Amino acid sequence: MRRHPRFAALCALVLALMLVLTACGAQEAAGPQASDVGFTPRLDSQTEGAVTVVGHYNNFEALEAEFVRFAEYYPNVTLTYTYLDGYSKILSTALGNSEAPDIFFTYPWMGDWADGADIFAASENLADPALDIDLSCVRENLLKRDDQGRILSVPVYTTTYGMLVNEDLFAKENIAVPQTYSELLSACEAFRAAGYANPIMGYNKSGELLYPLYYPYFCAQIQGDEAALSALNALQPEAGEYLRDMLELTADFMRHGYLDLESCSALKDNYDAVILRFFEGDVPMMLATGNTVSGTEKREAKSEAFTQNPFRYSFHPVPSTEQGAYFVNTVSIGFAVNKNSANLALANEFMRFLVCTDELNLMAKAKRMVTPCADMSLDSVYAPFEKLDESRMINLSELGLIDEASSQVCRAGWQVSNGLMTVDEAVAAFGSIA
Amino acid sequence: MKKNWMLIGNIVIVLTILALIVFYVGNEQERMLASKMEAFGNMTEAMEHVTTNYLVGEQQVCNSWANYINANDLSAQQAIAFVRDAITSPEIMAHILFPDGDALTGLSTATRGPAGDDTVSYRNIASFTAELEEHLRQNGAVSVTRAYTNPVNAIQSIAFCSTVTVRRDAAGQPEQAVLLRIIPVSTFEKKWSFPTDDYKNAEISLIDTAGNYILRGHSFKNSNFYEFYQSYNSPGPAELERVKEALAGKPGVMTILNSTGSESLIAHTRVNSTDDWIIVTMISMKELGHTAINWTLGGIITAGLLLLLAFNLAIMMSFNRQLRAAAEAADRANQAKTDFLSTMSHDIRTPMNAIIGLTTIAGKNVEDAAAVRENLRKINLASNHLLTLINDILDISKVESGKLTLSPVTFSIVECAENLVNISQPMVKEKNIDFNFRVNRFQQEYLYADQLRINQIYINLLSNAIKYTQPGGRVCVELREAPGQTDKTVRITYVVADTGMGMTPEFMERMYQPFSRQTDSRVNMIQGTGLGLAITKQMIDLMHGTIECESQVGKGTTFTVTLEIPLADKLMDEFMLPPIRVLLADDDEVLLETARDTLRSIGVEADTAQSGAEAVRMASGRGAYRVVILDWKMPDMDGIEAARRIRAQVGDEVPILLISAYSWSDIEDVARDAGVDGFISKPLFRTTLYDKLSELLGNENTRADQEDDGADLADMRILVAEDNDTNWEIISMLLDMYGIQTERAENGQLAVERMAKAEQGAFHLIFMDIQMPVMNGIEATKAIRALSDPWASQIPIIAMTADAFSENVAECLAAGMNGHIAKPIDMKLVLKEIKRIKEGTKR
Repeated sequence: MRRHPRFAALCALVLALMLVLTACGAQEAAGPQASDVGFTPRLDSQTEGAVTVVGHYNNFEALEAEFVRFAEYYPNVTLTYTYLDGYSKILSTALGNSEAPDIFFTYPWMGDWADGADIFAASENLADPALDIDLSCVRENLLKRDDQGRILSVPVYTTTYGMLVNEDLFAKENIAVPQTYSELLSACEAFRAAGYANPIMGYNKSGELLYPLYYPYFCAQIQGDEAALSALNALQPEAGEYLRDMLELTADFMRHGYLDLESCSALKDNYDAVILRFFEGDVPMMLATGNTVSGTEKREAKSEAFTQNPFRYSFHPVPSTEQGAYFVNTVSIGFAVNKNSANLALANEFMRFLVCTDELNLMAKAKRMVTPCADMSLDSVYAPFEKLDESRMINLSELGLIDEASSQVCRAGWQVSNGLMTVDEAVAAFGSIA
Repeated sequence: MKKNWMLIGNIVIVLTILALIVFYVGNEQERMLASKMEAFGNMTEAMEHVTTNYLVGEQQVCNSWANYINANDLSAQQAIAFVRDAITSPEIMAHILFPDGDALTGLSTATRGPAGDDTVSYRNIASFTAELEEHLRQNGAVSVTRAYTNPVNAIQSIAFCSTVTVRRDAAGQPEQAVLLRIIPVSTFEKKWSFPTDDYKNAEISLIDTAGNYILRGHSFKNSNFYEFYQSYNSPGPAELERVKEALAGKPGVMTILNSTGSESLIAHTRVNSTDDWIIVTMISMKELGHTAINWTLGGIITAGLLLLLAFNLAIMMSFNRQLRAAAEAADRANQAKTDFLSTMSHDIRTPMNAIIGLTTIAGKNVEDAAAVRENLRKINLASNHLLTLINDILDISKVESGKLTLSPVTFSIVECAENLVNISQPMVKEKNIDFNFRVNRFQQEYLYADQLRINQIYINLLSNAIKYTQPGGRVCVELREAPGQTDKTVRITYVVADTGMGMTPEFMERMYQPFSRQTDSRVNMIQGTGLGLAITKQMIDLMHGTIECESQVGKGTTFTVTLEIPLADKLMDEFMLPPIRVLLADDDEVLLETARDTLRSIGVEADTAQSGAEAVRMASGRGAYRVVILDWKMPDMDGIEAARRIRAQVGDEVPILLISAYSWSDIEDVARDAGVDGFISKPLFRTTLYDKLSELLGNENTRADQEDDGADLADMRILVAEDNDTNWEIISMLLDMYGIQTERAENGQLAVERMAKAEQGAFHLIFMDIQMPVMNGIEATKAIRALSDPWASQIPIIAMTADAFSENVAECLAAGMNGHIAKPIDMKLVLKEIKRIKEGTKR
């Protein structure tokens, strides 16, 4: 070889070309490789079947991405997500029909539904060791066990309340993002002074105006107060006093006039309309929930204004005290398995695949929701929440407030914020606010 | 540099071929893909017909129900009861819905609960009322909803709509309501698949112009087709608009990325029976048979081409090396031949110079007979040397062309040895070399081999030994016989040892190569062609023999040749003498022993004496020995003195022979005076002893050839076909010296004509030159052989030509000639041939 360097070089060239080209071919032939998530299938990889997931999302791309990943292990299994019209009303019927879903959405308040018991009666115990689902990856306080210790639903997404902040506007006007209630007022004032008609906006239907401001504040006030919770859950009229501080806060904020009710009422929904309005780029702060934030990334391209003038934005907790804001975290949706499913084994296998840190975080990231995992790898848009002290975190599941009491709180706040009730009237009407 | 360009050129060719393959495959794939895409589009259009037929059929059923209801003034309950009865499939359901605020409520054909509740509400189905109103407003032949969740059974369904006029209750006024014929999506999907297995994995969706799915295939994601397209293809607004326009327009196809990132083909066509429905079908390009360039195949082809390139380069480099080696060898050969020609020029010019110069001198001194005789003698010597030179050149030419062939004949190895001695004697004597020729007794004298070539081998080696040995040196020759590998062969070993200048190891490595001569000032002074050893080696190889050489510079050289030679048929018994006793004297014990054995083999018993004095003493008894044989050179008393004393003792009755390794011409007179009757040369061969003793004993059975004076050939007539005047003059004059009459024919044609006209017996034979004008000797011979006169056609014809190669001889014999004599002619051979012809013997 030493005597024939050109020949050696030619041989090397041949070998390299063969390796490169055949590697290309091999990669092509091998197709997509299984990810390194550590998932070990328990069923025959050639198992055939169909799994249907139903829910109230019009579309669920994050879940469909998981279907694709699951298909790497089970190529002959078809997974379908189906939107059910009137989900909350029809789910129990769907679970009983001939085309019953295999997996379905659950909500924390589902147990309060009239047919909630029927629904959970049809749910598989996902804590059953025989299913080998690793629930340890989910934050323990999000896992709801029934009186038999069963876990009938696994959280998939959690949510919180806050405000979308146009960081570029803050930077442009040299205004700091508010960390306290007074800073919030100051910021609104500064923007108003700078000519911004709407320093802050929010969806004004279904009792959601200013909800991100007052509801975390309210939860913090009653957290651990068993008497208050008991009275509130019993919808006792006198329990309305527990709402007074919250309603005073609401009234106080409204008195400053930074929130234009007419502009807020023009927002047709708390999702597309809110997001697209925020992307207009002239609203420094937009009150929203985590569910709303989940739609922001996808709608960046849909917004002509944002496409033409993109800006940096993030989601912040709304400061309601001089000590700062609260981070209220609650399950947005969970997944339950229909134990009467014709494809029960496959449905459980999909849950076994899905319930792990990697997959749940991937789903959260894809939909820009807050992950239920103990390892909170939050999207960058949620970064401000990570800065909050743990003492200011409130888990609604642990709080113990029932759905109806919570609704009364929201309605009261909405009535006051819209000037339809005074604070006193709202306090007095607790339990019966329409 | 040239190699690099060649390499680059080859790589460029390989890459070009690959590019062409990729280009061609790409084009083919595009063509096939276009064809498949078109077929898929056509199939989608066919699906549109199937869909339309199905939808229209379902719509017609719904319309027929509505027509009946409208024609019979029914209440809602009566109407729903009618429809319930009309439904033939349990999967199908019908609803009659009335506007109820911002929602729709009404009755269902399905009942729930023990009470048989048949009410239904669409309140929880978002925006369904508006959608329904929109459908009913449209003028399409089919009015069907999107897939929605049937509020009665929660099964995803589609519904065909018709307006009916019914009363909410029996007492109520007729109101406009909506009749829905509801079919589960799963039922619809079963009927809604591609009618060919080619597209078994193709999926179908129905969308409206806004992209909302009416029905959605599994691979279609999101709730809206355009959202799905946006999610996985990230188009800009303009591109999205273009896609929307395309789907709303004529049927067509396009490629998009599906949810797995794979390229998929989308075919779309509007549903003619509706206003805003579009069928969108999707199949992955892989399913369609479209694959990207096969890189594995490309890799194999590339590797194959590059390996071919490497192989060709290796072969080419190998050829180049061989060509370079051949060119170098050719250069060396050319150089050697140039050197050889230079040498030849010198070597040929030297004797030629002598011949021409001496001829001139003789011409000037033609009156001085002694001087002319001396000049002629020297001319003869130079001519012989020139002839040897030419013969060597011819031989090496044969060797090089591979045409050296053997012509085996029966011959006597003894004669061969005698010949060697005779030939070497003049040189030995000239250089005063101590020459010792030792021959062991030969059991097998007559052998069958190419005598000429064996002689040539032996003479070459011997003459080299003598040539390269300084005067006063020593040359020893040994010729011995040993049993052969079979009983029909003998192994003859010939050893020539000299005390000459020797050879260097370097020269010994190439001494058998033609034109090789040792570079040595002493060698250059010695005549030689550098061909002798090459010819010798080739001949030995041809005879499957071996030659070995040992040599030391300044000390001498020993060549050993071993040949396996077949025996001749002649028997030893033919050479037996009557039983007599002889006395043999020599100081060499070995010679005594071998000579005694040789004599015994011819029937003669010998007593030996190791000195002259002992011989005198042993021979003293009168009648003791029939013949006395004495060596000339013995230390105390030489052979002549011993002969004189023996002759004095035994008188003239006992013949005395004197043995000598040298020419006895110088001592002949002294020896005869001393009483010597004859001379015999060393070595003492069996035949030599037989002949000499037979002669001395008066035995008629002598083998000695008589000196042929050619007297018996007088009056013979020979026709000589010879075009060259000088040659004709030489042969005619030489033959005339023997009284042979000659007649000339200047070419072959004349010879033929002469023979055709000649009377029987006009000529005894013809000497035929080969290369002649008009007609050559070969053609002439054939023509003579074809003559009608039997005498003329059978006349002996001997070729006399300068074409001396064996193939020339063979060609002559094949043409019908009877013999071959090479020019320059040896008169002895000529006479021998003539005599052979005259005696009518055949070769």
